[in-house]
Parts: sequence; C-alpha cells; structure tokens
Amino acid sequence: MTAITHDLPNAACADVVPDVPPPGLQETPRTLWGDAWKRLRSSVTSQICMGIVAIYVLVGLASLLPYFDRKINEPWNQDRTYAPPTLFTHDAQGHRHLAPPALWLGLEFQGRSVFWRVLYGTRIALLITVCASILSLGIGTVLGVIAGFYGGWIDDLITWLFSTVSSIPWLLLVIAMAYALQGNESPQFMQEHPKLQQLFGGVTTVILALGLTDWVNLCRLMRGEVIKLRDRDFVAAGRTMGLSNFRILFRHILPNTTHLIIITFSLGAVAYVQVEVVLAFLGLGITDKPSWGKMIDDAKLELLRGVWWQVTAATVAIFILCLALNILGDALRDALDPRLRGVD
Amino acid sequence: MAAYLVRKLLLTIPTILGIVLITFLLFRVVARDPARAYAGKEKSEAQLQAIRHEMWLDKPVWKQFLLTTVFQFPHSMRYKESVWTLIARKAPVSLAIQVPVFFIALGLQLVLALFTASRRGQVPDYLVTFFTVLGMSVPPLSIYIASQWLFGGYLRWFPVAGWSTGFFYAIHFAALPIVVSVMMDIGWGTRFYRTTVLEEISNDYVRTARAKGVQGREVLLTHVLRNVMIPVVTNTVVALPFLITGALLLERLFQIPGMGGMLVDAIHTQDEPVVMAIVYTTAVAYCLMLVMTDVLYAWVDPRVALK
Repeated sequence: MTAITHDLPNAACADVVPDVPPPGLQETPRTLWGDAWKRLRSSVTSQICMGIVAIYVLVGLASLLPYFDRKINEPWNQDRTYAPPTLFTHDAQGHRHLAPPALWLGLEFQGRSVFWRVLYGTRIALLITVCASILSLGIGTVLGVIAGFYGGWIDDLITWLFSTVSSIPWLLLVIAMAYALQGNESPQFMQEHPKLQQLFGGVTTVILALGLTDWVNLCRLMRGEVIKLRDRDFVAAGRTMGLSNFRILFRHILPNTTHLIIITFSLGAVAYVQVEVVLAFLGLGITDKPSWGKMIDDAKLELLRGVWWQVTAATVAIFILCLALNILGDALRDALDPRLRGVD
Repeated sequence: MAAYLVRKLLLTIPTILGIVLITFLLFRVVARDPARAYAGKEKSEAQLQAIRHEMWLDKPVWKQFLLTTVFQFPHSMRYKESVWTLIARKAPVSLAIQVPVFFIALGLQLVLALFTASRRGQVPDYLVTFFTVLGMSVPPLSIYIASQWLFGGYLRWFPVAGWSTGFFYAIHFAALPIVVSVMMDIGWGTRFYRTTVLEEISNDYVRTARAKGVQGREVLLTHVLRNVMIPVVTNTVVALPFLITGALLLERLFQIPGMGGMLVDAIHTQDEPVVMAIVYTTAVAYCLMLVMTDVLYAWVDPRVALK
C-alpha cells in the first residue's frame, strides 16, 4: 500500500486539506439588482450617461441657492438688449480677459444672462420631472396593484378607468388638463408657506397636468405583473402562514415589481421634459420663471433677427439630458427585464 | 366576425361615457368659469350672462351632458360659427399636409426598418439607430424653428410661413412643413418597425425559407413584410384621428390654417366650445379607431376572435 502512494507524481497531493471547498462554489449569490448594476456599470456609454444625469441633478440642486434667483433676473447692463455669446473681453490696453460667466451664452432680449437662465431651467425641469413622476408613478402603482391583486369588481372598475383615460390621446389630455388648470389660484397651503410658493410657483399646473394623466401605462404593467405574481407559490405560502393581504402586497409582491417603476420613470422623464416645451409654446406652461420650453418659445421670433443663442442653449440642454436618459432607459430595460434582452 | 365587432362596439359604450365624464369634469368642474375666462376682467355681469347663454352654460347640467354626447356643441365664441363648419373648413388643410407626411414617413420607416434589421449589428444599423435616438431627444419645436430659419429665412428655398388656396400655390407653402414633419417622424417609426421585423425574422418559417434556398431579399419582401403589415396597419388606423387634428406646433409656427392651428388659437383666446369639441371628438374617434384595429387584427388573425 505504502509503495503505491510514494509513486504518485505530484507530492503536493499529500498536502491537500479536505476542509476548503473547491473554488467554484464560493461565489456570492446573484440578485436581480446586483446583476443589473453590474451590467449598467460595465458599459462605457451607460457610465457616461449616468455621469451626465448626475451633473444635471447637481446643477439643479445648486440652483436652489438664492444667488440664482438674482442672477436670472438682473440685466447685464443698462442697455437691456441682446448680446452674442462672448468668451473673451478686451480691456482698454487690448489685453484679453476671460469674460464673466454671465456672458458665455449671450444675453436675451431683456439683457438677462442666458447662461444663468439655462442653469435655472435645469432646476425647473428636474422639479417637474420628479414631482410629476411621483404623482403618476404613485397613482399607477396603487391602482395597478389593487386591480391586479383583488380582482373582481375593483379590477373591472379600474380597468374601465384606465381604458377611458387611455382612449384620450395623451398630449391632448395634457393640454386639456393644463387648459382647465390654468389661472387657478395656488392651493391654500402653498399661499401660507411663501418658501413653497417660491419653490413651486407656476410649476404646479404643469406638474398636475403631467402627473394626473400619465399613470395609465404603469397601471397596466403593474396589473399584469401582479396578476402573474399572485398565483405564485410564495404568495400562497404567505397566506398559509397567516400574513395579512397588506403585508403580502408590500413585502412580497411590490418589491418584485419595482423594476417596472424604474423603467417607466426613466422613459417618463424624457416625455415630461419634451411636453413641457409644448405646453410653454401654447402658453399653458410656466410663465414667470425661465424654463427651457419658455426660452425656446421666446426665441422663435428672435431667430429671424439673427439671435440664435437662446434657442440653441435651451435646445442643447434638453437634447443632452434627453439623450442621456434615453440611452440610460434602454440600458436599464436591458439590465432589469431579462425577457427584453436579445430583441434589442 | 360580426359578433366580434358588435361585442367590441358594445364594450366601447362605457368608455365613451367615461370620455364624456372626463371632458365635462375637466372643462366645467376643474376649470374656472369659462364665461369669465373668455370675457376677461372688464365685462359686467349682464355681459357675462349673455356669454353664458351663448356657451349654453345656463342649460341644466344633464342637458349639457346629453348634447355633448351627441356631438352638439355651442358656437365658437370667436368665430360665431358652428364648430362643425369650422372643422369642415379647416380639416382639409390639415389633411393636405398630414396625409403626404404619413405615407412618405411610413414608406421611409419600412424601408429603413427592413434595411437595418437585415444588417443587424453592422455599421448601417448602428448609424441609423444613432440618428433615430438623436432625433427622438431633440425637442420638435426647436427643429421646426431651426428649419424655418434655415430653409426659409437663410437659404430662402421655401417661404417661411403662410398658406394659399389653389393646388399649385399650396404645394409651395406645404413643402417645408411636410419635409420637416417627415424628418421628425422617421426616428420613432423606424425603431418600432425594426423591432417588429426582428421579432418576425426570429420565427421558424424564415429559417425554413432560407434553408430552402430563398434569397434574403425575397424572404424579407415576400414573407416577412406581409406579417409585419399587421402592426403597421394597426398603427395606421390608430393614427388616423391625428391626421385630422393636425400637428399643433407645426400649424401654428407655419401659419397654416388647419385644425391644429384652430385648437391653439382657441386655447389662447379661451374659446372653450372649440377646445372641448376638438378634445371630445378626437377622443371618441380614437376610441372607435381602436375598435377598428381590434377588428382588423381579428380579420387577419382569426384566432384572436375566438378568445
């Protein structure tokens, strides 16, 4: 017996410790979110887009400072007229200096700085997107989950509701809602808190018009998903254990549907920014503060006079944000919904 | 088939009632007093009453409801004409632009979709995807304004805005809006049909055809295109009501006297009968077109009707 072991070619075999498991079994378990994040992180385009969105969010948050409120309204000089974008100015001796930021993108028709107005527009766009999304995602989730889970007459009622709302083309519905809401006084609680009034101002109309109309898609998706989930074993197991319906919904079914919410949010953000431009054009949007849509609308007559900087600045701002969100939304959909992979 | 149609039509009745409800809720309950909105601040109470009478606001609510449901609307406050007369006058103008845009865009979308789907993953595919995503991210208003300036003001190839009756003069004015609209529409449609074509290509019968030795182009045009026409037709039917509504931004910017322009003007002048009429009519038309889509789908694919 011993003679055979001495003949073994690899003497290291004698050092093998039996307690350590072979390398292949030591991975951490893969979850949907970990997997999705890895996919998102791996592509360079996704990283760039996430960076761009992060920059926009930072600019939006920075523009909450009162410095911005002053800068968007003060005219650059006494002339109160246009000026093209200037990067460098010359002083009396002919030396070149870097111009102050206010002039980098030029001045619009009242002499105010386009640069600061574009940055302020970021805040308005983000405010609209976030608030309208909260509203529409909230309504869609609640109604969809209730319809899918309880079934019966509640399901029929909610199905009738979203079929009806979706029968009206969305843009038309937003316009009708904004038309109906225009000129209404701000709600009571906003007038009592001037800080809120300053933050929101004329934006409430747009937020309500967008948020109260866009919930139908998510409602449908959630209802379909919940109907599929409620027959699964883990729900039956929960019921057997004596969990209440509420707990099952919140702790078990809802977390399995959050990927739909995220995807819908990223697509909706693009739509809200674009529709805000349309509303501004129709005069139903934000009137007192500079939003990108308002800047483009103001600029439509300027262009024929050769003043191109305001419309270009606002368009580029919208374009970059929507491009980043579109690409990110595609990447999110690929990462979070395995069934959609491969069809592109 | 007839039973299916009847069943679908009956199911739309609660939806149409819901549409009337929503329209009424929006324009009478949520909005502030339409008469005051139209009149502005200076009018006296007597003038307000007269305006209310014109807008049928003094009729009992159930009667207003009923009249709206059967498409009876008060006269437009601005034009003092029946809304239907206005629509009859302005809809052809909108159609004159939207119909060419629709068919040209559809043709281009299908060609591009088939082209990029057959060359999936290669350079043309990436190029087209790149440009369509670009096109979807730019606000349409900027493109309209920019092309108005570029082609109208700077290059002077087309007039900046305006309209004229008479076929040959109208072409002159319609050319730029048509070109710009087609440019804007191609992006979304190409992406959508490309996905449809790709799904179609992954079916077994395409593999069989290729195995039989059928050329790639013939496979695409003879087999795949036919099956792709189903979603194309359903999209077409659903888009019909929007052809009449016209493009709101386009008509306002290019001063085209179509229905879209009428809606925009009505919003600006607080002409509530017109706004409500257009919203309600378009919604009902869209609803009926959805039914048509379902029926067409069942006609092409009889298995659907059996469910």
